[in-house]
Amino acid sequence: MSAIQVDLQREYSDALRDYLARPNEPALRRAYELGRGTLTNGTGVLGIAALHHQALKEVIPGLSAEIEETLLIKRAEEVFIESLMPFEMSLRDYREAIAVLRRMNERIEEEAKRIAHALHEEAGGLLASTHLALEELGRDLSPQGSERLSLVRTLLDHMDEQLRHLAHEIRPIVLDDLGLLPALDFLVKGMTKRSGVEITVEGSTDGRLPPAVETTLYRNVQEALNNVIRHAHAGKVAVVVTREAGAVRCSVRDDGVGFELSAVSAARGERGLGHVGMRERLDSLHGTLLITSVPGQGTELLMYIPLQG
Amino acid sequence: MSLEIHVDIINDDDVMAARQKGRMLAAEIGFSPTDRAMLAAVITELARNILDYAGRGEVLLQPIENVGRRGIAVIARDHGPGIPNIKDALQASYSVAGGLGLGLRGAKGLMDSLEIISVPGSGTTVTARKWQS
Repeated sequence: MSAIQVDLQREYSDALRDYLARPNEPALRRAYELGRGTLTNGTGVLGIAALHHQALKEVIPGLSAEIEETLLIKRAEEVFIESLMPFEMSLRDYREAIAVLRRMNERIEEEAKRIAHALHEEAGGLLASTHLALEELGRDLSPQGSERLSLVRTLLDHMDEQLRHLAHEIRPIVLDDLGLLPALDFLVKGMTKRSGVEITVEGSTDGRLPPAVETTLYRNVQEALNNVIRHAHAGKVAVVVTREAGAVRCSVRDDGVGFELSAVSAARGERGLGHVGMRERLDSLHGTLLITSVPGQGTELLMYIPLQG
Repeated sequence: MSLEIHVDIINDDDVMAARQKGRMLAAEIGFSPTDRAMLAAVITELARNILDYAGRGEVLLQPIENVGRRGIAVIARDHGPGIPNIKDALQASYSVAGGLGLGLRGAKGLMDSLEIISVPGSGTTVTARKWQS
């Protein structure tokens, strides 16, 4: 048995012993939390069945192997396990799918990084060389020619700015270099300028987060803010990032028009409000998304991602 | 070491026989009750695929060994139409995760390895191995 399994066994047996002695809600709650924890620690349905069986043996006084045999407990468990097997298979399949999804997201981000880098460095470098060549050319030109050339150079400057903007949209280098909060600061500055909505970023990540978590939160905040700007008619938006024990939480709250959640749920599958993409990114990290909205009173979007280890 | 076991799969009774023989072999080799149940589930899924897609075929159960570690190979073979796209059949697809269509993917998750050789028009061989835990 691994260390995790030993801990789980002790916790489960304690809860069972406690509850059998006297029915009480805290014991049930402990069992619930234990089951919830197994969603991320790799224990399957069969693992839980094994915990229960072992706990019964420990908890029922005088349950020797002999009595166990007489009571046919072991034999009964075999039937129980058979019926659970499809759930175990389905759970393993689901976990595999999550892993595939996560690898796919990582590949997409890697590709985005490569494209952003090519735009920024390579195309940017070519533009710089073009500037130098034009400057040299300018020396031999008449005043009239110089004037036309300076127009060309202004256009090139616009192009340079566009390239930088595009490279940043595809993959913000600041996210890789400095982390989530500086990247969000940079993001909201640009969005505030373009939209006129007042957006603030607060909080702390208590050091760098795993790259996949940083990317997911950045992309989701980006999508959430785009939604707010497009649909919410908000004046202010607050983005708050907080680090908790074993998790990171991020909320995006606006003072806009809000919406009927039921209306949005009915339209699920449509990507209009972007929640599907957000959920998919969060799913791959076992994260959760909570949306609270009251018509006329704004919307709050809360993301929660557990951090392993 | 036990010998290879061969079960022709022609109807549902054969699926039952293959399950039972697999479970017995697993017990002999020292698999835990849970691992025995997993092996039986895999045999069921592979044999069911034979009946569903090829009509008939066979299941071989082989004791295997690697550096002192013992295990079992389940080989399911048929001469049916073959699997047109193995990747689709095996790949965990997000949209169907958790649904039915467990078959091959479910078997893959319970075993240490699973490989498929399929020739369209001439048949399929699935080899799945599980080692003692």
